[in-house]
Amino acid sequence: MYLKDGIRGGLITFGIILFLNLLGLPLTAESSIVPIFTVLVGLFALLLLRSRAGQERSLLNASVNGLLIGIINGIGLVIVTYIFARMQANAIRVNQVFAQILPEHTGALAGLTKAEVLAGESIWPGMTKIAVLFAIAGLVGGASIRFFTEKGRKRMDSISASSFGHYTVLILPLVFFALFLSLRIKGVKIGGAEENILGLLLIFLFVSAALFALRAARPGKEQIALSIVFLILLVAIPQLTDLFQNAVLGAVAIFVVMGVGLNVVVGYAGLLNLGYVAFFGIGAYTFGLLSAPESYVLVTLPAFNGVTFWIGLPIAILVGVITGILLVIPVLSMRGDYLAIVTLGFGEIIRLLLLNLRDYTGGPGGVLNIPSPIVFGVDFGNPKGILYLGIIFSGIVAFITIRLRDSRLGRSWIALREDEDVAQAMGINLVAVKLLAFATGAAFAAGAGALYASRQVNIFPDNFSLLVSIDVLCLIIIGGLGSIEGIVLGSIALIGLPEILRSVNEYRIVAFGALLVLMMILRPEGLLPSVRHQRELRGEEMTEPVTSSD
Amino acid sequence: MALLEVRDVHSYYGNIHALKGLSITVEEGEIVTLIGANGAGKTTTLRTICGVIKPRQGSVSLEGENLEPFKIHEIVYKGVALVPEGRRIFSRLTVYENLDMGAYHRIDNDGIAEDFDRVFVLFPRLKERRNQVAGTLSGGEQQMLATARALMAHPRLMLLDEPSMGLAPVLVESIFETIQEINREGTTILLVEQNAHMALQVAHRGYVLQTGEIVLDGTAEALRNNPMVQKSYLGIE
Ligand SMILES: Nc1ncnc2c1ncn2[C@@H]1O[C@H](COP(=O)(O)OP(=O)(O)OP(=O)(O)O)[C@@H](O)[C@H]1O
Ligand SMILES: [Mg+2]
Repeated sequence: MYLKDGIRGGLITFGIILFLNLLGLPLTAESSIVPIFTVLVGLFALLLLRSRAGQERSLLNASVNGLLIGIINGIGLVIVTYIFARMQANAIRVNQVFAQILPEHTGALAGLTKAEVLAGESIWPGMTKIAVLFAIAGLVGGASIRFFTEKGRKRMDSISASSFGHYTVLILPLVFFALFLSLRIKGVKIGGAEENILGLLLIFLFVSAALFALRAARPGKEQIALSIVFLILLVAIPQLTDLFQNAVLGAVAIFVVMGVGLNVVVGYAGLLNLGYVAFFGIGAYTFGLLSAPESYVLVTLPAFNGVTFWIGLPIAILVGVITGILLVIPVLSMRGDYLAIVTLGFGEIIRLLLLNLRDYTGGPGGVLNIPSPIVFGVDFGNPKGILYLGIIFSGIVAFITIRLRDSRLGRSWIALREDEDVAQAMGINLVAVKLLAFATGAAFAAGAGALYASRQVNIFPDNFSLLVSIDVLCLIIIGGLGSIEGIVLGSIALIGLPEILRSVNEYRIVAFGALLVLMMILRPEGLLPSVRHQRELRGEEMTEPVTSSD
Repeated sequence: MALLEVRDVHSYYGNIHALKGLSITVEEGEIVTLIGANGAGKTTTLRTICGVIKPRQGSVSLEGENLEPFKIHEIVYKGVALVPEGRRIFSRLTVYENLDMGAYHRIDNDGIAEDFDRVFVLFPRLKERRNQVAGTLSGGEQQMLATARALMAHPRLMLLDEPSMGLAPVLVESIFETIQEINREGTTILLVEQNAHMALQVAHRGYVLQTGEIVLDGTAEALRNNPMVQKSYLGIE
């Protein structure tokens, strides 16, 4: 039995925990820090004990080493906290800044208040709990490497192929939904003060599990029945959620629309576009400028009363498509890195134009009071309405994309992605095919932009920074490049989850980044990859006939 | 009228004068080979025919029609298919998907189905491996796939760029047999080769290319017996 890996892993993990600890993370995070540390310990155990190619660790070995990692971290943190607590109780001051934060900080870990720490209250009950939690996390993390090995994967496959596993996967989303519903029963207080966060988490879980269930369902009746059930539940969700939850879900939906568009450009056609936010911004500003009462257009044309959302939307899409085409012309012959740099520049240029063409765009002051969408006299300008529109938009773009993917055009995008020169030799018109990829992506982003503008009411150039492009790119990669269901998962993970982690405050970015890195190491093909990409990344032989459904 | 006529073509890469007044003709139904050493301009000739490079001077015509104004993909529509140097299969797609790509520009579904059958008869190996990812095929199988993919376009003229490259002698022989078989079924072939020995056995006629110029041409038999060819390309002293 090799304990070396456990000890090494324990020390590495503890180094990281200590670092976060010294950063003052526990203080800012208050009570949420213990679960986060626990999850980190588990994840690190999982990552650090992962077998190198060829040699697989036995379950016993993995569990013992995992446990060791947990114990080292538990003991380490207890010792450090103990030292801190003693220092404070005895008024030993190392440094002024530390003296300010340490008592609260230590208290947060041990479950005490600042005064209790200063009074020398025992940290042991709280710290014992942490030590036990860490040990369990390490054990679970270590043991679960079995799911990430080749054998483990095969075993999982055989479980999910069994009818028990199969039906569990199909039922799971309904369980999450039921749990979510149970939150709404008066008197049941599962979530405590943060019930809306828990509810949101359950919706995320429901949607994610539903996507996996649809993937697992047998084609035909089973799939159709499930789709109908899930669709009904999905449509019911906005009725059951509160304002906060709807707002978060609305953002997730808008990013799904953008993700689906960028996926056409990057996932299908293989054209790396880092300036995708430009089309989002153009869509938003086109609608904003044509509809907001104080916008340049409405002010200079007194006779023009502005367009409604439903007129503005197609105009925004059209303008987006035109700019998309204009962008492609100079980059037609560019590939890879060069294309990425040029598009990145394009994204920034658009933002700078929005910022600096003050007379027309309002500059940093933005465009204010953009009207909301009205459907049959009903105002959709609230989180619930926007969420409904977001779901509908996502459905439409997903449908269009699937149709395109399975068409000749979809095939030509794949050829283009694989080898431009040979694609041409197959009789593919590169210019047309690239134009169509960019135009499709731009159209979806511009549509999302118009929806976003009426959601935000006021838009500013800073809403359209490079970060948005990066977010969208990350979410399609995390979900699994080329996979439409993956985009929904990616959007939940990247746009939705940070809202849940909000209680961890600024450090959520750190925690979140760590999660992403771990995920990409453990599952490089993305959360719910398209069949094609899975195959590509694992380079495995396909034994089943490939249908066009990715 | 010749199926393919390349007349006095001058092609450049920037300032590099790669083809210096090259002329070749290929008649319907023939196998014509173009042999030459590394860097002679063989691949450049094929690129010029496909429209990847537009010649600065001279013309390429297919059945008398000048190809100058046409783009690469339009030349494919006209019935010219290329098996590129180094195979260039879509390595992340399956064998089936690769073949399907070859038929990209066609809309006659019955014809496509027929051609699938035809290539699977010619290359039974590909049929066995139709759902395998192409990148995991052996070198010989990849060459078969590249050839089959071009056949899926149902070309009138097939351009093969060094199909024997990197293959074991047995495989080379079988590839060349297949090329003859394809030709018997009615496809005209322009075969670029360094393996002059094999190429001159299957071809009807041949051209010898040296630094962008044709230095010799004639029937395969005449070339085989030519002392210069024997010395430089067949290794016979
Ligand atoms: N893209 C390019 N840019 C610049 N020069 C090139 C390019 N491609 C080919 N050349 C040059 O043109 C000449 C002819 O090249 P070509 O590829 O046609 O040779 P080849 O006869 O096919 O050789 P091989 O048998 O090695 O494939 C060579 O001198 C080569 O260096
Ligand atoms: Mg060559």
